[in-house]
Amino acid sequence: MAKQRISRREFLRDASVATSALALASIAPHSVRAGEKIGAQLIGKLEGPELVLDPAKWPKKFGEAPMLAAFVKDGKLPPVDKRVPEEPMVVKPLQSIGKYGGTWRRAFTGPADAENGNRIVSTDKILFWDYTATKVMPCVAKDWKISDDGKVVIIFLRKGMKWSDGHPFTADDFVFWHDDVYLNKDIQPAPHPDFMVNGKSGRLYKRDDYTVVFEFAEANYLFVDILAGSTSIGGGQATQQFGGRTMGAYMPAHYIKQFLPKYGGGKDEMDRKAKAAGFDGWLSYLKNRWDWRLNTELPVLAPWKTVTPINNATWVLERNPYYYGVDTQGNQLPYIDRISMGLAENLEVVNLRAIAGQFDLQERHTALSKLPVFLENRTKGNYDIHLDPSLNGSDATLQINHAYEADPEIAKWLHTRDFRRALSLGIDRDQLNETFWLGVGTPGSVAPAETVPYSPGPEWRKKWSVHDPKQANEFLDKLGLTKKDGEGYRLRTDGKGRIRLELQTVAGSFISHTQICEMIKQQWKQIGIDADVKEVERNLSYARINNNEHHITVWANDGTEVLYLFPRHALPVDPVEALMGYPIARWFASNGQQGMEPKDPQLKKAMEMFRSAPGKKAPERIKIAQEIWKIIVDEQFSIGTVGLSPAVMGVRVASRKLGNIPAREINAQHARTPCSSHPTTFYFKS
Amino acid sequence: MLAYLVRRLILAVLTVWAVSVLSFTVIQLPPGDYITSYIAQMSASGSFVSEQEANALRHQYGLDQPQYIRYIRWMGMVLHGNYGMALEYGRPVGEVIGDRLWLTMVVSVAAIIFTWFVALPIGIYSAVRQYSLGDYVATFVGFIGLAIPSFMLALILMYLGFTFFDLNIGGLFSDELAEAPWSLAKIWDLTKHLPLPALILGFAGTAQLVRIMRANLLDELSKPYVVTGRARGLAESRLILKYPVRVALNPFASTIGYLLPYVVSGSIIVSLVLSLPTVGPLLLKALVAQDMFLAGTIVLMLGTMTVIGTFISDLLLMWIDPRIRFEGRK
Amino acid sequence: MSPPTAPIAPELHDEPAPVVSVAEERISVATQWQLMWWRFKKHRLAMASTAVVLFFYLIVIFADFLAYSNPLASEAQRSLLPPQRIHWFDDGRFAPYVFGLTGVRDPMTFKRVYTPDPSKKISVRFFVRGFEYQFLWVIPMNLHLVGVEGTTPEESLFLIGTDEQGRDLWSRLMYGTRTSLSIGLVGVAMSLILGVLLGGISGLYGGVLDTVIQRVIEILRSIPTIPLWMGLAAALPNDWSVTQIYFAITIIISLIGWTELARVVRGRFLSLRQEDFVMAAELAGCGQMRIIFTHLVPSFLSHIIAATTLAIPAMIISETSLSFLGLGLRPPAISWGVLLQQAQNIQALAISPWLLIPSIPVTIVILAFNFMGDGLRDAADPYGH
Repeated sequence: MAKQRISRREFLRDASVATSALALASIAPHSVRAGEKIGAQLIGKLEGPELVLDPAKWPKKFGEAPMLAAFVKDGKLPPVDKRVPEEPMVVKPLQSIGKYGGTWRRAFTGPADAENGNRIVSTDKILFWDYTATKVMPCVAKDWKISDDGKVVIIFLRKGMKWSDGHPFTADDFVFWHDDVYLNKDIQPAPHPDFMVNGKSGRLYKRDDYTVVFEFAEANYLFVDILAGSTSIGGGQATQQFGGRTMGAYMPAHYIKQFLPKYGGGKDEMDRKAKAAGFDGWLSYLKNRWDWRLNTELPVLAPWKTVTPINNATWVLERNPYYYGVDTQGNQLPYIDRISMGLAENLEVVNLRAIAGQFDLQERHTALSKLPVFLENRTKGNYDIHLDPSLNGSDATLQINHAYEADPEIAKWLHTRDFRRALSLGIDRDQLNETFWLGVGTPGSVAPAETVPYSPGPEWRKKWSVHDPKQANEFLDKLGLTKKDGEGYRLRTDGKGRIRLELQTVAGSFISHTQICEMIKQQWKQIGIDADVKEVERNLSYARINNNEHHITVWANDGTEVLYLFPRHALPVDPVEALMGYPIARWFASNGQQGMEPKDPQLKKAMEMFRSAPGKKAPERIKIAQEIWKIIVDEQFSIGTVGLSPAVMGVRVASRKLGNIPAREINAQHARTPCSSHPTTFYFKS
Repeated sequence: MLAYLVRRLILAVLTVWAVSVLSFTVIQLPPGDYITSYIAQMSASGSFVSEQEANALRHQYGLDQPQYIRYIRWMGMVLHGNYGMALEYGRPVGEVIGDRLWLTMVVSVAAIIFTWFVALPIGIYSAVRQYSLGDYVATFVGFIGLAIPSFMLALILMYLGFTFFDLNIGGLFSDELAEAPWSLAKIWDLTKHLPLPALILGFAGTAQLVRIMRANLLDELSKPYVVTGRARGLAESRLILKYPVRVALNPFASTIGYLLPYVVSGSIIVSLVLSLPTVGPLLLKALVAQDMFLAGTIVLMLGTMTVIGTFISDLLLMWIDPRIRFEGRK
Repeated sequence: MSPPTAPIAPELHDEPAPVVSVAEERISVATQWQLMWWRFKKHRLAMASTAVVLFFYLIVIFADFLAYSNPLASEAQRSLLPPQRIHWFDDGRFAPYVFGLTGVRDPMTFKRVYTPDPSKKISVRFFVRGFEYQFLWVIPMNLHLVGVEGTTPEESLFLIGTDEQGRDLWSRLMYGTRTSLSIGLVGVAMSLILGVLLGGISGLYGGVLDTVIQRVIEILRSIPTIPLWMGLAAALPNDWSVTQIYFAITIIISLIGWTELARVVRGRFLSLRQEDFVMAAELAGCGQMRIIFTHLVPSFLSHIIAATTLAIPAMIISETSLSFLGLGLRPPAISWGVLLQQAQNIQALAISPWLLIPSIPVTIVILAFNFMGDGLRDAADPYGH
């Protein structure tokens, strides 16, 4: 992917904000500049630590945490230069070299909140992004190479790198995962799309101890991005091997082998062992053993490892003495010894504790709607507030079901371009922004931020995505929907009463989609369209989507900013979550074997372009993505409302005791927020 | 007498069985199953679960079997003291529930004690001074807890506690002791966290007890022995506290069985707001995630405890009141 | 969450009072209802409570007349507006008015700030035309108790402030009252039917039928109500409309509520069966149905009424609890539960405490129902203390 250039305007804005951000850190209250967008004073300059890629500049001597030095002295650990790889990851901390020690306090909401920890330890990914989330960076792999024909991707591992138990980490750990886990039908019943191109499976093999080859039958230029993204194959050990997940491309072979029937003495023997340990069979036991959140013995590559499992009242992580990252002076990372996440059964308690200053750094579960309360208690709680606008276009996206058939009249209108445009023009996004985003978001279409390479350009944020009830009414009138009832709602052409569109929302969503839809329902009155807002449990929403029953489902489109890595909320291509039409997604995923071919030629075109992209080199791929976005926005396949906001993640509450905290960090799924800011470099100043 | 006891016991066992069937059925009423919610959860974190994987998981957890088979399997396990795996937690159900069941009981008992402390004096006062202003005021105070929705009261008190008194925000333990083994310090920590939930929960049950106490005492007060005592010149306080209150208290003790499910149900909501490590929040999450083993076990355990409570209070009643013993024989 | 009853309810007293004087003569010839009324009057709190309950049911009937704004009309520019100050007198004469308001979001605190504009005086008038509604669900009407002159109330009148979406809280409260109080009534009616039917059968026939029904009651009472509700509420078909969900929720609540009433009915039946007048009627050759409806039912009707009254507040609280758990009525429906759930967060407590106002009528109504029910119960026992 090409390095993203920051536009001049963006740069100037960033620079000006940086000054106010600096002022803000020391003195509160800070000032607000005239004419500045609301919230600008809380949005700092995008910054973060950088990797030192030139081996000549790498430190030769290493330092370590006092906690580990004590173990070394007692002979319980080898000295630090024997633990850190010969080719470490060298991180230049954002502000300064940190101090060792301390416990980072956070909140989590239970075992379902695994991402809370996963996102902190994601430097166990094969490749990663820089702090701008636009440039692929080394991570576990020190380097990579892609063949000219795009069929072979080679990754190079770090010499002398070790698991958290001191065992060497080599290409064999990849081969073990591929041969014994991924290809084992008992464990992984079907190949995974992330490791396929055009429906054909890829292959993994070792060239030598430090060289791993991924090979495909057809060109797959996208694969480097896939390895860097938050995908099943490139997502890293922690994120891809918990709660039953089996992906992640490598695994601690020396440890996991004993739990596999093949090495452990057959299925019966393994079942017996599993039952003795309290599990119902070898598979449950195996999946429990490689789950980093549950198994404290599991060797990991992550900077911190679990010492008190997630299914307790606190989830505690402690430093990995063999972590492969160091700072520019050779001090082994992370600086912070321990991360302690306290269980909170409800979000109000999380927020109240955050307001009381009981967390050192929390950017999850902290709702934007509580911003005034956070600001009010800043001094009392001794913390700073940062807003990190996301890159995705719309936090509340009206995802239209393009496969809907149950009610032919409704289906007809949902599949009519001008009808969709009218719906979009009937939404007053400024109202939504003011009410639910406190004015901090940016109204517009589903298209991603201009800073994203895939962005089709700023004009596409506005296209068909402004409030223009007059034009909307003209569209609807032209479509022949001129008959209205006593209350001014347009009637169906088949004489069965009003046109009623169902807006399905999901209970418990982080963004208040139900309330947002209530407001949209009011706004659509002006264009004579009646909406039924229906909030359902999450399970139920999935069932309805998969039964092709819903008209429109509202959900955030975060992740779509990296269109090829997470397309499901931009195009109906992924049957796992196909808000835009389950049968169409099945058709796409099965190469036309199952499901329903999209009737809309433009939709089909966009999907075909999407399918062709992995085989194209970066510049062309970016062009295709831009074209796809143009089609989506022009056709209003899904309707955007307000996005580029901090709402999808949460307000970042950072204790003033912490150092190396970026003024602004990237808020995006593929950047594993906050991991692209390298939490290993955060430290307690005193 | 013995026959009555045995009959009562058999009925109690039957009731527990019926509770198990009902809870297992009700939990699985909503569409979808654990795997649907698992896929939903995975998708939220951007992951992919293929249909084949989903089916493999369904098979692994026995979700592809008909419901009655699942029930029989579950019952068979329960009878062996194995409650199955809590799917979301990846741990045996018994372990996940662990201390939470006892903490639920601790909170409930603390609430009941609080209820008694408030309800007794109010009940006595309002019976002795029936229809006086004091009666109305006392009754009003006793009833206020019933009238304010407990979730509202809990959040308000927690917020005020934090804002004005720097109290702990929710929970039953301080963070550093949450995972510590039981010790005096931990018990003391628990005692410090208990008053707020006990107060909120206890207040909700006060009205009922005030009512019982008042009615029973009024009954006693109109009896000839009280009149006789008064005629004999016994001091009024002694007259009331020594005899009628004691008589009125008897059935009071036997209300535990009926109070228990009420308090436990209430504790689910209060625990949720105050983030207490009781079974309440666990149950709610398990129900939403359709983790039938976990939810089923919790409901079964709570149901069983209620049945035991009712059984004990029946025994108490029988012991106190010979008429019931007589009816039992009939 | 139906509260437990006394296992030992105050029993009827058998000893008849020795009757002599004129006043007592009056008592001895009074009908049971008269006796009840006299006793009920003595309980002043119950009397006051009855007035309160009646008042609230007037709100149920006249909700749309009492609301002055469309409860669904949202507007970001009046989001979270605090209760407005009303100026009652203009130049010394009674002419209520309010000032126009302009609001902005404070860029420092992020709170919405509203400043009254003294140059914009808006008169508040009574019996004014406003948004359209159907009076008593049939008659189209647009008359409202209060309204404003020269502009619309949606833009200018906010007696107790607005919610996040800028909807007038007062008007929403009126509609919420209608929903929640009628849920209580409908739910109790259903409980009553179930309770009287099953309790009656149980008490009348006894034997196996009695045992079975008693067991069912015991089982239902042994399951903590929350999971039972949750299972049932989550199982509701999602393509149901708000109205259908509303009735389903009532049924769910009443499915658990009936056990209480059934116990009362059964107990009454059991004790009345032994009474002399029943025996007399039987000896006189009355049919069983006649005995039930002309002799038994009237004599315990008063108790049923009392028990029913006491069951309503439990239903109301249940509705709010279900909404809190996200299982009851959901927006865009308006009920007390929905209104309270919106206030169930720290920003409401910290920056918009007026969102808590709906908890006041909830508290008042529940107290009133309880006191009224207690009064009725005391009164229903004609020979009591």
